Amino acid sequence: MIVFERRMEANALWTLASFIMAIVAGLAASAILIASTGANVPDVFGALLQGSVGSPKALATTLVKAAPLILTGLATVIAFRAQIWSIGQEGQVFAGAMGGYLGAQLLAGLPPVLFFPGVLAFGMAAGMGLGWIAAVLRSRFAVNEIISTVMLNYLVVYLLSWLLQGGPWGETGGTVAYHQSPMLPDAAFLPALFGSSRLHAGVLLPFLAAAICALVMSRTPLGYEIRGLGYNPEALRHKGVDIARTVSVIMMASAALAALAGAIELFGVSHRLRADNLIGLGYAGIIVGMIGGLSPIGTVFAGLFFGGLASGAVYMRVLGDVPASLVPAMQGITLFFFLCAGVLARYRIVMKVAVQ
Amino acid sequence: MSQLFQEAIIISILASTIRIMTPLLFSAMGELITQRAGIWNMGVEGTMLTGAFAAYLVATATGSLWLAVLAAVVAGALMGIVIAFMTATLRVDHFIAGLGLNLLAGGLTLYWFQSYIQGRPQPIFSGFQDVAIPLLSDIPVIGPVLFSQRALTYVALLVVPVVWFLLYRSRYGLELRCLGENPKALDVKGLSVSARQYAAVMLGSAMTGLGGGFLMLGFSDRFLADFTAGRGWIVIVALIAGNWRPKGVLVAVTAFAFLESLATHLQVVGAQVPHQLLLALPYLASIGLLMGLRFRSGQPARLGIPYARE
Repeated sequence: MIVFERRMEANALWTLASFIMAIVAGLAASAILIASTGANVPDVFGALLQGSVGSPKALATTLVKAAPLILTGLATVIAFRAQIWSIGQEGQVFAGAMGGYLGAQLLAGLPPVLFFPGVLAFGMAAGMGLGWIAAVLRSRFAVNEIISTVMLNYLVVYLLSWLLQGGPWGETGGTVAYHQSPMLPDAAFLPALFGSSRLHAGVLLPFLAAAICALVMSRTPLGYEIRGLGYNPEALRHKGVDIARTVSVIMMASAALAALAGAIELFGVSHRLRADNLIGLGYAGIIVGMIGGLSPIGTVFAGLFFGGLASGAVYMRVLGDVPASLVPAMQGITLFFFLCAGVLARYRIVMKVAVQ
Repeated sequence: MSQLFQEAIIISILASTIRIMTPLLFSAMGELITQRAGIWNMGVEGTMLTGAFAAYLVATATGSLWLAVLAAVVAGALMGIVIAFMTATLRVDHFIAGLGLNLLAGGLTLYWFQSYIQGRPQPIFSGFQDVAIPLLSDIPVIGPVLFSQRALTYVALLVVPVVWFLLYRSRYGLELRCLGENPKALDVKGLSVSARQYAAVMLGSAMTGLGGGFLMLGFSDRFLADFTAGRGWIVIVALIAGNWRPKGVLVAVTAFAFLESLATHLQVVGAQVPHQLLLALPYLASIGLLMGLRFRSGQPARLGIPYARE
């Protein structure tokens, strides 16, 4: 008889094997999904590969697409490690772009060394405001953070919709309203790396942020408190840690990272405020962070993987046949198998001879 | 404003309150069953979305609305199996399982939808029409509000007493509530906890999926991305606000529907308010409501805690 026995401690090799199985199962299930709509599976995977790493241009697009995902992924890591199930990343991305846009209006004309840090700080501050609201709702009013952050996400999306359509920031050409702001001036575009027009300097920030997160998590009192809140909040409280304050700090730090994703999308990619290129970055970040095993380094790899998929999807769509929404579908499927693998990693499979 | 006009507006607001309320009611009663069994299912939004998509697919492919209703129920039950597998078998954190399900459902439905309509104009269907109940619908005010609605609306209103009876007056309901309060009691009696959790989540999710399907078949003619637009989350708020009791949930759902109906009518009357603010009202109200709520006496004791025999 085959039985599953709970492991007393994690076995690194078995854990790795479980997650490799999850990737394989995820790809297999995606292949079935692609085949279910009548598309040619090898062609689709080939196009995805070509469009993500097939050329220097594809690699640049992969990096650009991965940057916001890594940031929202890191936002997820910080919150979820502390067992704070915030899914406000989506709204915080929007807030980051909106705050950044406001900053660009106020700081226009400053030299770039002051302008870019300034507008990114505006964006992050807007996100932190949202994170703070959710933290207060949780600590003072005992409102479940999943529900409050979902509601806040909707409120922020409607706020942006109003700002761009009927509000002060909309672009109107004749009688048509475009649901987007006018273009930012050239001086507000994040500078390009290597003279390539696609690869903006903002793609460096996620890697910097991941390094800082890894350091904070493993080497600082705050990191200790984040992990402690996840393992045993009661023990932390007895140690004299102000739980409400810690929750605020964590949720605001998480929100700042997600907001940064929105800000670099605005100044690096879209160059105008619009919802289209922000939608879904926050929710995808939840998947990226969880598949990254809630570790900053793992999140970088997961972010690059899904950035590659997103870049490949653009290429794939040009070839025809398969809609670009294959990517969110593959993300959902992969997440599902990773959740299963996380459980599998904690068990061992044992063959038992039945005793008569 | 003439008195006749005012009266017509009031009747219209009330009638659309009932109309908006009933899809939510199916989903809320489904989630009530699931949560009373101790499973804190956060996947309502994804389950409703899948139900709505399944209904759209079958309605446009076969032209039969009742087959589409069946499809929504089956799709909901399938989502229930996924949730039950993750929570009862794998014992994944309930919140994580629900979030995962929402993300999976959002991605899959959008992919299938875009594949389905690729290269042609989006097929549409004509949904359920009002069924006026003879005599009763002729009563002034009450008639047009209550007795001139979609067929499934009447069913939804009947579901509340049925769920109440099931939970509080049947053996099945007793065992189901026991799952949420003290699953060990069932276990030591030799009754399977996991099998009952599967059954409860599948039944609950089937109803939740039906809610999504009704939203599609009763009040729309096409699918679009994020079709359910947060209604699944409103259902969860209604459950907490209703203190996990059928009557309380009914009141909470009615209040949300009234708010939404009021917002739509303010738009029609031409109030000088940005329409986004009106659309945001239910979400603002949810946050306000949860802030004000102090009592949670009806919350099942073991809600959201995976059951493991030690």
